[in-house]
Amino acid sequence: MAEEKKAGLFEKGGKLYWLHSTIDAFDTFLRVPGTVTAKGAHVRDAIDLKRVMIMVVVALVPAALFGMYNVGYQTALATGASWGFWKMFFYGLLKVLPLYIVSYLVGLGIEFASSQIRGEEVNEGYLVTGFLIPLIVPVDVPLWMLALAVAFAVIFGKEVFGGTGMNIWNPALLTRAFLFFSYPSSMSGSDVWVHIPKDMAPTDAFTGATPLAIAGDGGVGALDAAGYSFMDLFWGLIPGSVGETSVIAILIGAVIILWSGVASWKIMLSSIAGALLVGWFGQLAGSGIPAYYHLVMGGFLFGTVFMATDPVTSAQTETGKWIYGFLVGALAVVVRLWNPGYAEGMMLAILLMNTFAPLIDHCVVSASISRRAKKMKTA
Amino acid sequence: MNTNSNIYTVIYTTVIVVIVAAVLAFVSQSLKGNQQANEKADTISQMLTAAQFGTKADFQKMGNKAVLARYAEEIAEAFTVSPDGSRTGDIALDEVFSPSLLKRQNYNIKGGQNATGAPELPVFIFKNGKKVVPVYGAGLWGPVWGYIAFNEDNSIAGAYFDHESETAGLGAKIKDDPAFQAEFIGEKPSLGESKVFEIVKGGSPKDTENKEVIDNKIDAITGATMTSKGLEAAINTWLGAYSAYLLSATPKVEEEVPAEVNEEAVEGEETTKTVEE
Amino acid sequence: MNAKLKETLLNPIFKNNPITVLVLGICSSLAVTVTMKGALVMALSVIVVTGVSSLILSLLRNTIPSRVRIIVQLVVVAMMVILVDQVLKSFEATYAIDKQLSVYIGLIITNCIVMGRIEAFALGNKPWPSFLDGVANGAGYGMILLIVAFFRELLGSGTLFGFDILNRFGYVPNNLVILPPFALILLGCIVWVQRSIQKDLQEK
Repeated sequence: MAEEKKAGLFEKGGKLYWLHSTIDAFDTFLRVPGTVTAKGAHVRDAIDLKRVMIMVVVALVPAALFGMYNVGYQTALATGASWGFWKMFFYGLLKVLPLYIVSYLVGLGIEFASSQIRGEEVNEGYLVTGFLIPLIVPVDVPLWMLALAVAFAVIFGKEVFGGTGMNIWNPALLTRAFLFFSYPSSMSGSDVWVHIPKDMAPTDAFTGATPLAIAGDGGVGALDAAGYSFMDLFWGLIPGSVGETSVIAILIGAVIILWSGVASWKIMLSSIAGALLVGWFGQLAGSGIPAYYHLVMGGFLFGTVFMATDPVTSAQTETGKWIYGFLVGALAVVVRLWNPGYAEGMMLAILLMNTFAPLIDHCVVSASISRRAKKMKTA
Repeated sequence: MNTNSNIYTVIYTTVIVVIVAAVLAFVSQSLKGNQQANEKADTISQMLTAAQFGTKADFQKMGNKAVLARYAEEIAEAFTVSPDGSRTGDIALDEVFSPSLLKRQNYNIKGGQNATGAPELPVFIFKNGKKVVPVYGAGLWGPVWGYIAFNEDNSIAGAYFDHESETAGLGAKIKDDPAFQAEFIGEKPSLGESKVFEIVKGGSPKDTENKEVIDNKIDAITGATMTSKGLEAAINTWLGAYSAYLLSATPKVEEEVPAEVNEEAVEGEETTKTVEE
Repeated sequence: MNAKLKETLLNPIFKNNPITVLVLGICSSLAVTVTMKGALVMALSVIVVTGVSSLILSLLRNTIPSRVRIIVQLVVVAMMVILVDQVLKSFEATYAIDKQLSVYIGLIITNCIVMGRIEAFALGNKPWPSFLDGVANGAGYGMILLIVAFFRELLGSGTLFGFDILNRFGYVPNNLVILPPFALILLGCIVWVQRSIQKDLQEK
C-alpha cells in the first residue's frame, strides 16, 4: 500500500507531479520501462536513442584513454620527469577527470532543468556531447571557463531550439567555439596544450607549440626540425587538445561507430577527399605541407569521425552527405592554409556546414523531385 | 491646389533641395573652423602622446588650447623629407599632417596609379631631440595610422596609433590599450632592411633574466591578427621610406654596448647623450 | 496630456518597441553597442533625427507631392543626419566619440525606424504628435541600445562608461561579447523576455 502511494506522488495528479520528467529520466536510466505501446505500426529494433548514444561513447573511449595517457606523457616530456606508464596515465586521468565532471554536472543540470520547464522527458542527447567536450579542449582550460561555455552551448545551441534533435549546431563544437572566441589566450598559442605543474619548470627544449602550428609557420620542414615525423603524428604522442591527437585511437573509434551503423561512412570518406584535394592544391601553391599531413594533424580526423557525422546536425540525404562531408574537409584545410588568424579550421568548417546542411538537403530533395517530374513527363 | 501636377512636383522638389542645400552649406561653413581645430588638436595630442609628453587621456582633458600651447612649447623643427633622405621642404610650426594628407603620401610611397607625385614625408623634431614620424596603412575594416617617436639613436621612444573602424575591444586596442603602445618603447627597428619591424605572436624572445631582448619585434594583439598584420605592414612601408633619413640623421653610435643600450632605451634621452659623449 | 498622446509616447518604448517588436534598426544596434558611451551618443542622435524629421515632414505633409514622397523624406532625413554629425564633430567634448561613431551616425539615414515612422505616422498626423512619436521611437530604440551596451561593456570589457567595475575583482573580459554576433544573441534574449511578459506577441 505504502509503495503504491509513493509512486503516485509523481504521477499525474500526484503532489510532486511537476518533478515527473526528472523521475522518469532516472527511472528509465536504471530500469527497463514496463509499458509498451499497444497500437500502431512500429519498427522493432534493438537500437534506440540510448543504444546509439552508448555506441558513440564506447567509440570515444580509446581516444579518451589515450588522451589521458598523452596528457601525462606531455607533462613528463616537457619537465624532463622520468615517469612510468601508469604514473603518466593516472596523472592525465586526474587532469582530465575534472573536465568531465564539470562538463556533465553543468550540461546535465541544464538539460534536466529545461526538460522540467518544458514538461518533457529528459533524453540522452547530452551523454555524447558531455563526453566529447573534454576531448576537444586544451587540458589547461580553466574549469570556470569550461562551465560557462557548456552552459552557453547547451542553452543557446540546443535548448532554445527545442532540445535534443532540434539543434542546428553540434553543441560540443559550440562549446569549443564559445571558448575559442571568448578567451582566445586560453585556447590558442603555445602555452595551453601541455600542463606544467606549478612546482616544475619546463626544460629548455620545450616550446609547447602544436605540430599544426609549427607546420602552419614553416611547413613540413619545420615539423621535421621540431622532431615530429609522420608516424609521431599518427600515433599521437604530441601536444594538442585532449582527445584529438592519436590517429590510431580515433580509427578504432571510427571502426566501432561505422560497424554499428551510427555514423555515415559517406561523410567521413568525402571529408577526407575534400581535405586531400584542397591540401594538394595548397601544396601546388607552395604551402610546404603534403596533403596527407592534414589528415593526421590537429583536430581534423577527430572532427571528421565524431563531429561531422553527428546525425542531428549533418545532412540527411544520401547525396547531401557526400556534398556536406566534402565541403567540411575542404573548408577546414582552406582555413588552415589561407587564414593567417586561425591555425585550425576544423571547428569553423563543421559549424559552417552544420548551418548549411538543411540547405544542402533542400537542394538535393528539390533536384530529385524535378528529375522525377521530368521522367514522368517523358514517360 | 493640385499637389500632383508635374509643374508643382518639379518646383516643390527644387525648392526643398535648395533649402536643404543652403542649410547644410551654412552649417558646414560656420562649424568648419571648430572642426578643423578639433582635428588638429587631436593630431597634435597624438604626436605628443607618441613622444611621451603625457597620455592621450591627459591631453583630452586639457582641451584644445592647452594642447596647442604645449605643442608650441615643445616643437623645434618640422620639415618633409624624401625617401632618399634629403630634405624637401619645411612645415610651418603650427601646421600638422592630417590623416587625409597621410593617406595621399601613403599612395605616393607605394607608387602606382593613385600616386600624385614624389613622397614628401613629414618629420617633427622636438626640443628634447625626439623625432616623430607618422605611419599609415590599412587595418581590417579601414585605415590605421599613428605616430612613432624616435630617440636620437633610432630606438623607439614611444608610439601612438589610431584607427577609423577596427573592432572595438580587439583591433581597437592599437588605440585604446596603452600596454600595447608601451611595448614599442625601447625596441630597435632594423632600418634599411627589408623587414623593418615585426608584430608577431609572442613578441621578442626573453633573455636569461627573463627580460625582453631589444629587437624589432613586439607581441601581436590576441584575437586581432588582421589589424596587427595591417599595422605591421603600415609600419614597414613608412619606416622603410624613412630609413635613409633616419640613418643619415643619426650621429654614429656604436651598437655593441648592449648593457648601456638597454638602459638608455628605457630611460630615454638623458642617458642617450652620455652614450654619445 | 490626453490619453492618445500618452499612448503615442509610451507605446514605442515597450509594447511596440521598434527593435524588439517591429525588428527595425538591427544593424546599427549590433555595431554601436560595444560601449555605453557610444550607445548613448547614438541613441541621442537617433532621437534627435527621428523627432525633428517627423516634425518637419508632418508640417509639410499636406504639400508633398505623393509621387516624390519618399525622395522628399530622404532629403529631410539626410539633412538631419548630416547636421547631427557636423555638430558632434565641432564640439571638443564630442569630437572623440564622433570619430568612433562617424560611420554609424551617417548610417542613421538607412535606419528603417526613421523612414518607417515618417511613412506610418508623421505623414498622417499633426506636428506635435508626430514629433512625440519620433522622439518616443528614438527613445525605444535607444533604450534597447543601452541595455545591450550595458551587458556588452560590462561583460566584454569589465567597465561601464569607461569606469572599471569588474576588472578590479579579477574578472577576465570575454572577447565573444565584444564581437557583433553576441549583440544579436542579447537582442534575442531581450525579445524572449519581452514575449514571455507580453503574451499577445507570441506567434502561434
